Amino acid sequence: MKKWMLLVVAVSLVLMFSACGKKAAQVAPVQEPVVEKVEEPVAQVEKPVLSEEELFQQKSLEELNRDQILKRINFDFDKYEIRDDMKAILQANANWLLKFPSVEVLIEGHCDERGTIEYNIALGEKRAEAARNYLASLGLNAAKVKIISYGKSKPLIPGVDEASYFQNRRAEFVITKK
Amino acid sequence: MNMRRTVLTLAVLLLAWNAPAQDEITIRIKEGMPMIPVALPAFQINDAAVQKGNIPATIYETLWKDLEFSRIFKMVPREHYAYIPAFNPGSIRFKDWASLQANILISGQLEITADDRLIFSFKVYEVASERFIFGRNFGGKKDLARLIAHKAADELLKHFGEKPLFTSKIVYISESGNDRDVYIMDYDGHRPTRITFSSALDMLPSWSADNEKILYTSYRNLSPELFMFNIYSGKTELISSGGSNYAADWSPVGDRIVYTSSKHGNAEIYLKDMKTGQEKRLTFNPAIDTSPCWSPSGREIAFTSQRGGTPQIYIMDSEGSNIRRITMEGTYHDSPAWSPDGMRLAFVSRIENRFDIYIYNLKSNEISKLTENAGRNENPSWSPDGRHLAFSSNRGGRYQIYLVDYDGRNVQPITAAGENKMPKWQKSTK
Repeated sequence: MKKWMLLVVAVSLVLMFSACGKKAAQVAPVQEPVVEKVEEPVAQVEKPVLSEEELFQQKSLEELNRDQILKRINFDFDKYEIRDDMKAILQANANWLLKFPSVEVLIEGHCDERGTIEYNIALGEKRAEAARNYLASLGLNAAKVKIISYGKSKPLIPGVDEASYFQNRRAEFVITKK
Repeated sequence: MNMRRTVLTLAVLLLAWNAPAQDEITIRIKEGMPMIPVALPAFQINDAAVQKGNIPATIYETLWKDLEFSRIFKMVPREHYAYIPAFNPGSIRFKDWASLQANILISGQLEITADDRLIFSFKVYEVASERFIFGRNFGGKKDLARLIAHKAADELLKHFGEKPLFTSKIVYISESGNDRDVYIMDYDGHRPTRITFSSALDMLPSWSADNEKILYTSYRNLSPELFMFNIYSGKTELISSGGSNYAADWSPVGDRIVYTSSKHGNAEIYLKDMKTGQEKRLTFNPAIDTSPCWSPSGREIAFTSQRGGTPQIYIMDSEGSNIRRITMEGTYHDSPAWSPDGMRLAFVSRIENRFDIYIYNLKSNEISKLTENAGRNENPSWSPDGRHLAFSSNRGGRYQIYLVDYDGRNVQPITAAGENKMPKWQKSTK
């Protein structure tokens, strides 16, 4: 994050100076006050390494969800079966949920836009249910997992290519209670 | 068909052309009947109305567009009126209007009273027989100019044995910003009125049989529940919750609805008696069953099921028995809508990621394509007279609501601002 910001500052400085240069060449040389850029020393703050438990305690529900402690999974076109390459993600999600039994989770089922509104609500629900069933098969108490379908009404990204559609065909795991 | 209607139908046929054999009448009147040429000369208006030029123009243009839209009437182009002496309601020169091929001549008169009210009267003449047929007067506040024109146009439809159409309304979902709410508008897209005000997602609205209530799904309680909003009392009632509850359709016969719910785990079709509150599950299949829609007789229900592997259209009896598959080709069909004459099903098909609306003729088993490769076309809904359909399409970028005639002609958008979709036309008008 910090590196990225520095880069932006650097790029904008370069742009500023090049713009000034052009101006100076064309217009009468009005001396503009020079803004001195103070380079902030890049501080190497040593962050204390927190354990998973400490992180869980420290973070709010919003933060846990924003940081995607539980990763989303994707589905094949028109399908609601769990893909083989998504099983590891579900396993990781299940492991985390088993570690924190107080957590309640809502699985949101979503679809890409290539379906009707009505059918996609049902399809999204089937996806959320498939994810819940898989978690249950890994030993999770299904009663703590609620599901909801948004059909195609909440796409993750607006693209109209297969890569975007793939991202939109998903189940998201929202922590509703710590 | 009652006696009166048969007589009217015959009258129309006789008026239009030599009547064919009697058993063909019902079909002929719906499709392929020659349209009746109507002339609509400029209205006679009083001084107060002259000063408010936009009101006479609004009534005139609305009436013109209604009749043009009807597929019953054909407007004699107004450029032609200049070829004959100006229209004089005091002494009508029918021969002149006959020379313009007009069968029906409408004489309109508009007055704006001292207290700013509109009085619109119109007289309908048959040109060939040089005969006055009927006339009506309408009064109302200034801002009801469009409604007065629609009512006048409906009177003409009624006179020719048709049900009113132009005062019918469409309920739909409009999206601006993050809000997706239920709106109602006139059939031609004018006078939109917002009726739900939640910040949550609202979707799939539909009409009650008496047109006084709107069924719709809302996520306001963080799960898709089915609600009923009473337009007149302003009250909202929860109809079904648990799982997802959506795609409700009110039976044209009796106070009952069908809808989709996953309250018992899987998307199934339920029937609910709205008087007793009693519920009955109609489908029992581990596959997805959704999008139920009544036949106009209330005896059958068309719906979408994925029981054969892909979503296909099926029909069952209203008790849930006698299930038979309707669509045999293709891999994705949904959103069935039964035509008011009971003979046709409109639905959406996805073919190579194109969404188009098709019409399946239940008598001949023929399928025709209504929309042609222009964006994604969804949620067809029939007009009360079965001559038109509303649907939503993103052919112009964002989703808007369009109208199209039953034969694919006269496609026109009726919304433009924001994003508008999921139209449901009233099934009948009073």
